[in-house]
Formats: sequence, structure tokens, C-alpha cells
Amino acid sequence: MNTFYKKLGLTAVTALALSAQAALAAEFLVGAEIPLTGNLARVGSGMNEGISVAVEVFNKTNAKHKIKIITADDESAPAKAIAAVEKLAGQGVLAITGGYGSNNIAPASDAANKLGLPYITSGGVDDALTKRGYKTFFRINNTQGYQKAVVGLLGDMKVKSVSIIYLTKQATGDLAKDVQKELEGKGLKVGTHAFDPAINDFKPIINKVKLQDKSEVILMVGYENDYVGILRAAKVLKPDVKAMVGVWSLATPKMASEFPDLMPSVYGTALLPFPAEFKTADGKLFADTYKKLYNKEPDYLGQFGYVQSMLLFEAIARAADKATLSKGGIAQELSKTSRDTLIGHVIFNEQGDNPNFVHRMGQHQAGKIAIVWPANAATGKINFPGVPW
Amino acid sequence: MLELIAQALYSGVLQGGSYALIALGLALVFGTMSVINLAHGELVLLAAYIAYTVESRLGVNPVFAIPLALLVVCLSAMLVYALISLIRNDREINTLILTYGIGIILTNGVLLIWSADIHTTSSVWLQDAVVVGPLYSMHSELLFFVVSVVLMGGLWWWLSRSWYGRAVRAVSSNRDAAKLMGINPRLTEIISFAVAGLLAAFAGVALYSYGVIQPSYGHVLTVKAFIITVLAGIGSIPGVLVGALLLGVTESLTVTLASSALQELAGMTLFLLVLFVMPNGLFGAARRRG
Repeated sequence: MNTFYKKLGLTAVTALALSAQAALAAEFLVGAEIPLTGNLARVGSGMNEGISVAVEVFNKTNAKHKIKIITADDESAPAKAIAAVEKLAGQGVLAITGGYGSNNIAPASDAANKLGLPYITSGGVDDALTKRGYKTFFRINNTQGYQKAVVGLLGDMKVKSVSIIYLTKQATGDLAKDVQKELEGKGLKVGTHAFDPAINDFKPIINKVKLQDKSEVILMVGYENDYVGILRAAKVLKPDVKAMVGVWSLATPKMASEFPDLMPSVYGTALLPFPAEFKTADGKLFADTYKKLYNKEPDYLGQFGYVQSMLLFEAIARAADKATLSKGGIAQELSKTSRDTLIGHVIFNEQGDNPNFVHRMGQHQAGKIAIVWPANAATGKINFPGVPW
Repeated sequence: MLELIAQALYSGVLQGGSYALIALGLALVFGTMSVINLAHGELVLLAAYIAYTVESRLGVNPVFAIPLALLVVCLSAMLVYALISLIRNDREINTLILTYGIGIILTNGVLLIWSADIHTTSSVWLQDAVVVGPLYSMHSELLFFVVSVVLMGGLWWWLSRSWYGRAVRAVSSNRDAAKLMGINPRLTEIISFAVAGLLAAFAGVALYSYGVIQPSYGHVLTVKAFIITVLAGIGSIPGVLVGALLLGVTESLTVTLASSALQELAGMTLFLLVLFVMPNGLFGAARRRG
């Protein structure tokens, strides 16, 4: 009888110990505040894919810590973004990853800061986001990174005049003005044409470039639908330019496959060529997991979402190891980040910005995307001059 | 400069034609039933996505999607009417809320079925340039401008000359008197919605053929259509054409002579100015003939 009770007691103690172990390795809740509906649904969905891949990879490669993501749709609206952050905080998340559009990120990260939650993003490049000096706000990309890439490419092209066609939103407007300032400083003739988000016929603008500006290059600063509209109008009016250059969301596999007639020789920022070539172990793991989960080639939105989330998850793990989770440890660990990632070496300055961020420029060539700037990262020869018509 | 202005006027007229096609269905229902169908833009968008599906799946010109778009959108429009007809009290305000809700459901339905990606036609012919002297446009813009004018003419003829068209107008003028004349108001309202669906189907295929579509675009279309409907004068078909052309040309000239950043402001200023000077719209009840 005594032996029976001893065995029973031993079993109970073992069960308790195991459950305690399980409790110690409990999942950390992380919130993802993303636009899954509304006008940013497309980019939000892309970032969400990267976040899901990061969770999958982190949980597979970390025996000690697990991450559970709770997603909240901010509906591409600032007020809903605040509500999403507050709802996630109510559900007990430790930090927030996500956010798209500077006008949504600003109030959302403001709410997160008030709640003491670290907030990491790659979806907003407005300088005002980092100028607030929040200790809880982190961003892995910025306007300067895009600006360096665009100005670098135009410098290599040795052109004398550029027309900038830009969307009248904060991030696009800021980038256009910064690029204009730098190009004018270098002695280039720059014409600028702002366009309203409601525009659906770009022919009057392209005609101004054709008849008045007579520039050598058209630089487009907008989003996918804007690029399609501009390129289509340019194909009709055929201005005498040597290159059509854009920024984000342009040199992507999706644009290459969906709009094959509009894309030849068009430039855009790109982290990787297409078909993607991942040389690092981290990159290969990301690409394999992405393809397994989504059965398609990874794109830049997925890569940014993956990198920002992975950095956050690693910071949570380090803070958990140091038992500083409840003492602002995640933000402290994030601020100490210094790591090679799929977008280059990431560190954060005092404002939470990544000063190392520099983009690359890709060019659509025969249904593929070749990296053509900077020279040391080039995977193909630049096709210049060259336009889609 | 003259070349710039000529192109701006030409682009504005073509743009106005597409605006008119989008606004026509909303104007018809508003004029005949005093119902503001806030889901009208989403119905247009639904037709555009049907055109995308037909083109991408069957590899044919999106114009061939019109029969399928007509069927689906007309049925959807009649379903909207079926829901509206359940409203018993405060019909005007409650239909606003109901159709706004239907619009949200349709937008999210489109998002679920077709995802958030942007789409446009891959037909080379539709995108090819038509050059008339110094004026440039795409085949699709010219084609659907003609379609828009023909449909408007057809609608005007139907409303003013056909028995059912007259019945629709009679019901809109005095429902009880129309009943006494042997007109079935319910049937005429169903017909109005079906015709609005037909117009939305053409507008959607046109939109896909010369523009870029995405799920969140429906609301923008509704707002634009509503502005034109009010600008035109409630129930006036010629007013829709004039209002749409005026708006298209104003926007285009603003882009050319000033900045695109001001085009929405210019459009709204025109809207307010017209309403200030002519509170019933350009062809409002006081001026309407027949």
C-alpha cells in the first residue's frame, strides 16, 4: 500500500514538474496590427504573410520559447488602428508587429507607447514617426534608404533632368521632395507633379512631362495602381524619356506576371532579384517556409514583415531569458539589435530608426527582375536607355 | 500650351463619358424611386471583377464578359431591391443605411473571392493608342465613350417613349395615381433596378478595360456617381451626361493648368457652385422637359 502511495505521489510530482515546465515554456503573445481590409489590404496581406512565416520559423528553430500571434485588422483606418492596438493590449500581447501607412502607424504606435508596448514596423517611412523619440517604437526601413537607392541609380545613369510624379500622401510626398532636393543639389533639372489618390487618368500629367518638362527620366513615387496608370498613359503618349523609375511595389514578381506589357525595362526598389536567390541559411529557411505556406515566390512585403517580426521575437526571447519582460526588457533588447538580416545589417538608433537601411534597384528584364544598383549587388546588366514602349 | 489644353479637353470628355456610365444607374434609381443606392459603386466593381475573371480564365477580351456581368449584376441589383422592398418605414433614410451595409458586404465579398490585388485588362488592343492629330487616347476609352452615349440615348428613349419607361416615371411622380392607371409599382421598381444593374454591368466592364480595379474602389465610384446625379438634377438623363462631362473636363483642366492635387477640390467646388446657383441641379425639376 505504501509503495502504491509512493508511486502515486511520485507520479503527481512528475506531472506537476512537467506542467510547470510547460508553463515556463508557455507561448508569448504578440499582436499583429495590420490592414487586411480597406485600401491597404493588398500590402497588409503581404506583410501578414511575412509575419506568419516568422512565427513558423521562430517556433521551429526555438525549443525554449514559442510565439503565438494574435492578428487584428485595422481596416486601413487610423481610428481602427488605435482600436486594434488597444484590443490586442487587452488580450495580453507583449508587443506589436505590423502597421502599414504612416498615417495609420502614427496613432497606432502612439497608443502602443502609452500602453508600454514595443511596436515594430516596416510599413511607414514618414520621418515624423521616428522624430517623436519613443523608446518603444522601432522601424527597419526609412525614406533615406529609398532615396539613396533612387539617387544612386540616377547618378549612374548620368541623366541631366528628371520629372517626379508623386502621390500626395505623407510618405510619398516626403520621399519625392527629399529626392528633388538632392537631385537639384547635384545640378539636375527637376520637374515635379503631385497627383491625388482619386486620379484615374494620368495622360494630362504625362503630356506635361512630354511637352513641357522634356525630361530624360520619369520617377514615379506611388503605389501599384498608380504605377499601372502612369505606365499605361506613358505607353499611349510615348514621351521621349530614357527610363521609367519607381520605388516600392514595382519591381516585384507580381507586377512582372500581372502586367507583362507595361513592365519591360522599368526600375523599382528591390531587395532580391526574381527568381529569388537566397544565399544565406536564414534566407533559404525563409524562402522554403514561405513557399510551403503560400505556394508562391516570396515578395518584398513578406521579407520586411519577416525581418521585423523575427527581430521582435528574438528580443522577446532574450528579455524572457533575462526575466525583464515586465520591466521594459523587450524594447531594451530591440534597441541592442545588431544583426544581419534579409534586408542587410539592422541596428536601431536612439529614435528607433535603422540608419543602415539602403535599398537596391531592380529592373524588369524579360519577365525577370535583375538587381542593377548598387554595382556590388548587381545580378544583371542595366538596360539603359529602355522603356516599355 | 494649346496642345496641352486640347489633350486635357479630350481626356476630360472621355473621362466624363466613363463617369456618366457609372452614374447613370444611380441616377435612374434615385430619380424614379428616390432611393440612393449606396451599393451602386460596388455593383459596378462586381461587373469589373467578372470581366477580370472571364479574361484571366478564358483568355478572351473582357468585352465578352458583358453577358455574364449583365446576368450577375442585374440579379444582384434585383436582390438589393428585394431587401429594400422589405423596408416599411422611413424608406429614404433606411435605404441609405441598408445599401451602405450591402456595399460593405459586397466589398468584403470581392476581397474574399478575388483578394486585395489590383487588376487591369491585359488586352493589348484595348490599351493601344488611338491618335487623332495631337489627341491621344486608348481604344477602350473611345469604345466605352461611344457605348456610354448610346446607352444614355437608349435610356432616355426608354424612359420617354416606351410604355414601361413611362410607367417608371408615372410611379416616381405619383405612386397612388399610377396604381389607379393600372400600373404595378412593384414591377416597375424591379425593372428600374434591373436596368440600373444593366448599366452598372456595362460601367464595370468599361472600368476594367481602361482603369485599375481593387476591392476598396467601389465606395469611390458611388461617391462620384452621387455627385454627378445631384449635379445633373434628380432624374435627368441628359443632365447626367452634361454633369459628368463638366466634371471630367474640370478635373482634367485642373490637372493640366494647375495640379492633380487640386482636382478633387476643383470637382467639389464646381459641385457646390452649381448647387449654389441652381439648387435643383443643372437639369433639375424646374427645367426638366419630358
